[in-house]
Amino acid sequence: MMQTALELRNLSKTYHIRAGGGLFPAVNTLHAVRGVSLILPRNKILGLVGESGSGKSTTGLMALRLLEPTGGQILVGGADITGLDHKALKPFRRKMQVVFQDSYSALDPMMTLAQIVAEPLHIHGLGSAREQTDQALDWLVRVGLDRSYGSRYPHELSGGQRQRVAIARALILRPDVLVADEPTSALDVSVKAQIINLLQDLQAEMGLSILFISHDLSVVRSLTDSVAVMLAGRIVEQAPTEAIFADPQHIYTRSLLDAIPALNPKDRQRRSFISPAQIEAGTPRYSAAALGIPPSDVPGLVQVSPDHLVEAVVTP
Amino acid sequence: MIRYILKRAVSILLTFVTVSVIVFLMMHAVPGGPFDGNDMPVSKEVRDKLMASLGLDKPLYVQYFKYMWGVFHFDFGVPFQSPGETVLQLLARAWPPSLILGGLGVVIGATIGILLGIAAALRRNSWIDYIASTLATLGLTIPVFVISMMLILMFAVFLGWLPAKGWDKPNSWYLPIAAYAMIPMATYARYTRSAMLDVLNKPFVTVLRAKGLSERRIIFQHVLRNAALPMVAVFLPMFIGTATGSIFVEAMFRVPGLGAYFVSSITLRDYPLEMALILMITMMFCLAYLLTDIVYALLNPRIRFGGKS
Amino acid sequence: MTQATPRQHGPLYFAWRRFAANKAAVVSGLVLMILVLMAIFAPLLTKTNYDEQKFLTDAYAMPSSTYWFGVDDLGRDFFSRIVYGSRISLTIGFSSALFSVLIGIPLGAAAGYYGGAVDWAVMRLIELFSVVPSLLAAMLLGALTGGGFFTIVLVAALFGWVQVCLLVRAQVKAVREKEFIRAAQALGASPGYIIWRHLIPNSVSPIIVGFVLAIPLAMMLEASLSFLGIGVPPPLPSWGQMINVGMNFMYFYWHLAVFPTAALAITVLAITLFGDGLRDALDPTLKGR
Repeated sequence: MMQTALELRNLSKTYHIRAGGGLFPAVNTLHAVRGVSLILPRNKILGLVGESGSGKSTTGLMALRLLEPTGGQILVGGADITGLDHKALKPFRRKMQVVFQDSYSALDPMMTLAQIVAEPLHIHGLGSAREQTDQALDWLVRVGLDRSYGSRYPHELSGGQRQRVAIARALILRPDVLVADEPTSALDVSVKAQIINLLQDLQAEMGLSILFISHDLSVVRSLTDSVAVMLAGRIVEQAPTEAIFADPQHIYTRSLLDAIPALNPKDRQRRSFISPAQIEAGTPRYSAAALGIPPSDVPGLVQVSPDHLVEAVVTP
Repeated sequence: MIRYILKRAVSILLTFVTVSVIVFLMMHAVPGGPFDGNDMPVSKEVRDKLMASLGLDKPLYVQYFKYMWGVFHFDFGVPFQSPGETVLQLLARAWPPSLILGGLGVVIGATIGILLGIAAALRRNSWIDYIASTLATLGLTIPVFVISMMLILMFAVFLGWLPAKGWDKPNSWYLPIAAYAMIPMATYARYTRSAMLDVLNKPFVTVLRAKGLSERRIIFQHVLRNAALPMVAVFLPMFIGTATGSIFVEAMFRVPGLGAYFVSSITLRDYPLEMALILMITMMFCLAYLLTDIVYALLNPRIRFGGKS
Repeated sequence: MTQATPRQHGPLYFAWRRFAANKAAVVSGLVLMILVLMAIFAPLLTKTNYDEQKFLTDAYAMPSSTYWFGVDDLGRDFFSRIVYGSRISLTIGFSSALFSVLIGIPLGAAAGYYGGAVDWAVMRLIELFSVVPSLLAAMLLGALTGGGFFTIVLVAALFGWVQVCLLVRAQVKAVREKEFIRAAQALGASPGYIIWRHLIPNSVSPIIVGFVLAIPLAMMLEASLSFLGIGVPPPLPSWGQMINVGMNFMYFYWHLAVFPTAALAITVLAITLFGDGLRDALDPTLKGR
């Protein structure tokens, strides 16, 4: 029986945008995320991929309760945390942490690295000030830095080093779940690999469950256990990583995979162009007509194989 | 656009009403009336009668509404310090000196300031740039009465070229106008310079130069037009500074204008005149505020078409 | 794997470098230091207290080797009065600036952090204060309360906080969007903790700048009110009030007008230029605001 670390049920986020002037401006509704359901099993890494604007970061922020969802539920270790207030939420904050893309803006420039890494202990009142600092310095070593870095400031570090500090800060509370929001997209290729290795090592050591948000499919392929593909605020395909890469079902997933540059010159080919309209139309094989059910009853996702889900489309 | 102006107008009207209430309450909440001083010894009965005839015995809010009702009919009451006329008549007498000297000061000061600012921006780090920034700093930091004092000491006391005070002879106008001109000149010298430099550094100016447009056409047709926006924005602080400064300019140069009456109304606790002057000044500032916003919106296509402030 | 990079210079070092390159600001800083020392050690520099009428027989005496700045109309050594005047001016300037910052920081931080209705309310308050000119309001308050030292400090703070508030609000708004604020929220930090530990420390530059720029405003207010006779009551030596007195004698005893005018002009100018230099050094992006 697989245990669940984090579960999202039918999560959605809607924005109302006032457009234009006049006394009665039109109000447009923007569905940033619509009905996303996900399960992150314990001790696994789940990749959430999609292009920018697909709602994957919004989903991550909502999972962390940093952004209020318009609808749906968030469950951490089986407990519903959707409606909890600041105080009731605090114990769950310990179980769930985050690493952001921009490591420069993720560290307070006015604090030393020791203060930054010790801050979670400070906020949760764990141990004396000396113990907090000591533990923070240990964690700096654990993420591959040196204890002497404790007195330094973020601007003295390189991007990769800063991301290590951000990881140390996120993991010092020993959380169950880590939301990593494009942690490697701003890094050089060589540094990227180091950070991926670090995350992999720490995940194995600590039994972490990671929600890995990324648009970089090569990283996702090497790191994750399963993958969910997002398009325009909804999940269109979800499967174990090998299945996604070996046998993509949704037309959008195929177009994403197609865009990965080939390393071997012999494999190079003209990429087939798939238009946005084609993508929006979905995969004909999973249309209501093909599945033989009335258009009003179309389920969100249909099962292709035991672990492989693909979005069904209403239009024939 | 209309919605924007309406919104601003309502907000500014609210500010005006708030100010009038606060000032009215402040003036009446503090102990001490016009007949309390030793220089006007009156018996209690006479004083009560006087207070009643002036309506000072009614509850405050009644006094306030009565007063504002009068204001809408241009009835500001009778000044205590000169009971032979109405406040309106006194103000009509005090307007011209302030308007003439202040108006001339602002027009001359702003013109010189803008020209200085343009010259300073075009010849950066030259002598004219240094003169412009020195004058700007002096004008914006040193209080008006200190500047007036410097002008008087220099041109009236030591050089003896011009009279230090008065209003009747035209040659007594030069120094107060110069004192009035300081703030507008300083404000516009500084902001024209920085606005010009801002625009001159924009890529589109480089493109215009690359297209071979003459420098003159670039400056007058493109740069100045784009630099006008921040210059409109500083109009309000400049106007407030100049109007406030008028109190000191007129006190220093003994000009019988609004500023001088403002001082006497405060020291003599002349409620009707004081209230009328404050309402007028606040009204003036509120209108200037609104006008700035409208001109700003008209000049700024982003507000004009965007609809969002 | 990761090499220890050599330690680099901190942001303060670069701020100092920028400040030191600004000659006007450095000179102003020195002048300001001399003024502060003068105010502190006033009793050591002067031969009489500011209100001792010791030289009545020499009243109106011109500057000389005995009386450096002459003697005033009431037989007081004018140099002593000018030196003690720096105490009044600086005390009012600094204490008003302190109160301005104490009002401006929480309001600016709250407006910047919470936004929405809080921001709207603070901005309307600021609008109210920017439509009412501080000097007029101060004159009214001064006349109604009879003036005095503390009234002036309070009135100056009442109008001085606006600039501090706007500076802090803008900074907090910018810092609030940084991801370390989100990280702290994800850690379960309360809004109070985030404002106190992250937003205010990251706003030190605008706070210092706001503090220094509030000083000359308060000084100008005090001098203006004292000039009109509703400020610091005599015999306290206020430069503004001395200018008012000096005006009556300027054709015959010019020293009574010249020295207080010069003292006030130099002090206000020095602090403003120092503050401008500090602003440009600490945060070059604020330049020209």
